[in-house]
Amino acid sequence: MYLMADILINVILAFLAGSLLLGFHRKVMARIQLRPGPPIIQYLLHSLKFFFKESSFPKTASMPFYIGIVVILAGIWVTAVIVGPVTKGSLMIIFGIYAIHKIVEHNSGSSSGSPYGKVSCVRAVFSAAGELPLFACIAIIYFVTGSMNIADIIAYQSVHGPLIYTAPLACVMFFTLILTKSPYSPFAITKGKDIISGFETEHYGFLRGFIMLSESVAWYILLWLFLTIFFGPIGIIGYVVGMIIITAITAFINATTPMLNPNHSVMAQFTITLVCLVGSIIILLIL
Amino acid sequence: METIFYMVYILVFIIGSIAGLLLSYKKHMEPFIISEIDILYLVLAIIGWFLFINFALVQFIPAFIAIPIGLFLIGLVIGARPGYGRKETVIGALISIIVWLVLHFGLI
Repeated sequence: MYLMADILINVILAFLAGSLLLGFHRKVMARIQLRPGPPIIQYLLHSLKFFFKESSFPKTASMPFYIGIVVILAGIWVTAVIVGPVTKGSLMIIFGIYAIHKIVEHNSGSSSGSPYGKVSCVRAVFSAAGELPLFACIAIIYFVTGSMNIADIIAYQSVHGPLIYTAPLACVMFFTLILTKSPYSPFAITKGKDIISGFETEHYGFLRGFIMLSESVAWYILLWLFLTIFFGPIGIIGYVVGMIIITAITAFINATTPMLNPNHSVMAQFTITLVCLVGSIIILLIL
Repeated sequence: METIFYMVYILVFIIGSIAGLLLSYKKHMEPFIISEIDILYLVLAIIGWFLFINFALVQFIPAFIAIPIGLFLIGLVIGARPGYGRKETVIGALISIIVWLVLHFGLI
């Protein structure tokens, strides 16, 4: 019973905090572009608004996939909350969740029947390159700490100091992943404005509400993981300040960087992963 | 148990922001942004940031009540119509941070 309450509170917390952070992300981007920008709570208000809007379904949609995939998207990120902040479980499950997220992007795009969704669906396959930094990062962390369990990694850091000093290039790889997931990212080829909203184009009403809810939770979880894995046991103030700073940094990068085309995006991610992986191995061998 | 408090803090901040947005649109119907500092917003921002950061100084109010009140007031000012409440927020935050730094490092 206590576990269920803990899960529920953490999911609500992740949704609210993630929404505020994404609102802040939009605000920072607007200020960099010399616009006032919407209020910070705008993303949250948008998410809630969609739950009360009329839902319509395209005639071309493959209904079981069209609806089911959104439920799966919400489900995997709720699972991420359980594996992350609630139980501090294995990073491999997080990797699995991220892999399923890519499959969700793929199927969400193809199930609606929209040509924009289909292009996004194909790009989701390309953008699986975004998983490479995460996988390489988890491998390096395992070599350093001897565990993939988040609780063990926190315990390791409380004795040996934050992992950012031991594995700085793994930190860069994880940051690349966060940047990939951030709105208007140079690597966000599945949601490029050349294809309207990509795989989300044909999802309206409560379905879009669930997608936005999942994105808020995903953003919170990725930032939580980054801070927990690389900065060790930090208190609530550390998490709040850290999440705000990382969100501001990604907003700055996204506001000043154009979106890359798919092949450039994939090659950039692949190159960053390769350089950081080789660099990390050299650092580990030297140390 | 702590997560419940954090959830309440965020909820209070969000409620404050929504209230701030609605009040601000009622107060400022004009199409352009007035760049003067609003004294009421300034007072609310200073009180809010002071309660949020220096809650330990206000001993007659428990921390779990002082922090939500502070966050509500911060939300009320920061959540105002775009373009309003920015300067007030910065001034309120700066004053509170300076007070915290002075007291924390024993400069007085």
